[in-house]
Amino acid sequence: MTKLIFLGCLSKTKYQETCKNAIKIIKTLDSEFEILEDVPCCGALAYHIGSDSELKTHVEYVNDWFKSKNISNIVTICAGCYNYLTKYYPQFLGEDFKIEVKHLIQFMAQKENLAKLNLKNLGKPLKVSYHDACHLRNAELPVIEEPRIILESIENVELKELDNNKKNSICCGAGGGVYSVFKENSDHNSKLIFDQLKRGKALLTACPFCYTALYRVRNDNQIKKPVIKFEDFIVKIMEGVDPLVD
Amino acid sequence: MTEKGKELFDKVKENINILQTEGTLEKQFGDFWKLACTIKTRQHDLQYLYDDSSREFVDKYRETLIKMREDFVNHMDDYVEKCINIMRKKNFTVYYAKTNEEAQKIFMEELGDTKTIYKSKSNQAKDIGIIDILKTNNIKIKETDLGDVLVQLFKYELPSFQVGPGAHFTEEEIAAKIKEVYDVDLEPKAHAIVDFFRNTYRKELLNDIKVSLTSANAISAEDGTIVLGENEGNISLITRATEKHIVVCGITKIVPNILDAVLITKLQSRINNVSYNYISLISGPSNTSDIQGTSVQGMYGAKEVVVILVDDWRTKAAKKNLFYKEFLKCIGCKSCIFPCTASRAFGNIFASKYGLGGIAIIRDYIHNGIEAAVEDGLFLCTSCENCYHWCPVSINLGEILRKMKKEASEKGLAPPYLDQYKEKIFKEKNPFK
Repeated sequence: MTKLIFLGCLSKTKYQETCKNAIKIIKTLDSEFEILEDVPCCGALAYHIGSDSELKTHVEYVNDWFKSKNISNIVTICAGCYNYLTKYYPQFLGEDFKIEVKHLIQFMAQKENLAKLNLKNLGKPLKVSYHDACHLRNAELPVIEEPRIILESIENVELKELDNNKKNSICCGAGGGVYSVFKENSDHNSKLIFDQLKRGKALLTACPFCYTALYRVRNDNQIKKPVIKFEDFIVKIMEGVDPLVD
Repeated sequence: MTEKGKELFDKVKENINILQTEGTLEKQFGDFWKLACTIKTRQHDLQYLYDDSSREFVDKYRETLIKMREDFVNHMDDYVEKCINIMRKKNFTVYYAKTNEEAQKIFMEELGDTKTIYKSKSNQAKDIGIIDILKTNNIKIKETDLGDVLVQLFKYELPSFQVGPGAHFTEEEIAAKIKEVYDVDLEPKAHAIVDFFRNTYRKELLNDIKVSLTSANAISAEDGTIVLGENEGNISLITRATEKHIVVCGITKIVPNILDAVLITKLQSRINNVSYNYISLISGPSNTSDIQGTSVQGMYGAKEVVVILVDDWRTKAAKKNLFYKEFLKCIGCKSCIFPCTASRAFGNIFASKYGLGGIAIIRDYIHNGIEAAVEDGLFLCTSCENCYHWCPVSINLGEILRKMKKEASEKGLAPPYLDQYKEKIFKEKNPFK
């Protein structure tokens, strides 16, 4: 049985440092998890633009690949992959999809894992805010409380909620493939998210798509407070480094 | 991507450019709408006059509502039949129109020689094509909801918000318009503008109506009562001080009983934070039996109440289990529009002639097909499903829109890049390679 770290195409291609950080966290918690070569795309981005038959063929291909590698467990670091693998794979494949899929945040938030991580912010007390990505809050098994459990467990870190949070969070405007074609959506909506970042010193997100949009809009608007990927933040805490320093 | 796909994509891109150009009506509306959505999305979670917030109110009744609407969709024929039977017994004139075209024909026949019609907001009338047919036949349409009166005054033809059309006009603009059209000097203040219409238009509404048109917030199948909510009093006036009151709506406005109908109306008011200061329960035409017990129709109120219940796409969607079947549960509260990511960013270019947002685009799809929906900005939707989370009957509009995107893609109407992603995912197993 193989336990797979599912990096996701966007992170793998664009955010290698984050991948390293995610791998570090996962390996710390369970050394049996591994990285494999040529992991196929889950297909999430094609969901609304592919026909059902095309999607089924793709999903079957991916599942056969999983079977060929004897995969029993997956931890995804991408919110989109988590949503897609847990919602649509069982829809297309039924009983034939037997893999236990967790998002990195869910995995970290497990009691024994949190205890093992024993996270402490060695610097000054820090207030942060967390942006709920649609892919996590809308998932079949929503990931909403877990990031809060993790952040609240960190000594010297305090979560300051955005006005719109959990199920009512503002979408960054990048989802559904919109970012690649109509960036104007995130121009407005990602800015709105930053506008709600009042007492938080940084904005955390666990979705690489949200991060991409938020990062661009932050730069465009010369916003001082940083947007940080959840796993990057956690690793800095683990290493005793100031999480706000790039 | 087909030629048509390219044409529609260019059109949406052009709309976005217009939306971002200073001085355009689209930009003016877009700026207003961004603000309105931001305030409203938060306000929904605040308490507003009541002990509970509107979201808590919705959550309290969510299960009841879902059950009520699912029961209706599963037994649509029975409810429609029951409703029509009781309405006829109560002296309503009732029609069941199979199609929009049939409804339009009936409507024109009922209108007879009348050349002017006074109407309430009635989004359903737009959906059923009544407004179009009135225009075609040169019937003078007199709006009575102040928002619509302003839209008409400004000859504003772009889509506006279904609940508050005209809310984006400033006091100065309205005062200037009134000066231009009526040559009346007004202080550019809301109360002065309201006084102006109260003093001039109210008299006309009380004296000159032959035929009025409304939709219904809900209709009770058990006793055939039509429920209409409003805050201005325009519906009260035009449904009473008229010879004939015509109600046009889809059969999906029917609910099992009067308590359900009132609950839905109350919910529509709470969820939008609008005050329905008047709720009318209309159970038939005006009537008196004061002379020797003889029942005579048409005392002070409407002499005749005509109800045109329209099926069109509805039974077909239920029976054939079409992918937008869920949409039959919609109670028309419009609460899906404020929290919509695309609506906030794109105002009235993520819209159709039926209004703003995903619901208006779905209506356009149902009536005019997938190309119309793509032109309305279908691909601006991020699938964030905020609409679904806010919907009091849990309709997953996001999923319906996704299915529409699929259909568009199959017909070569998806924007470029998305098509390329698809190819890369299926062939190279990585969209970013």
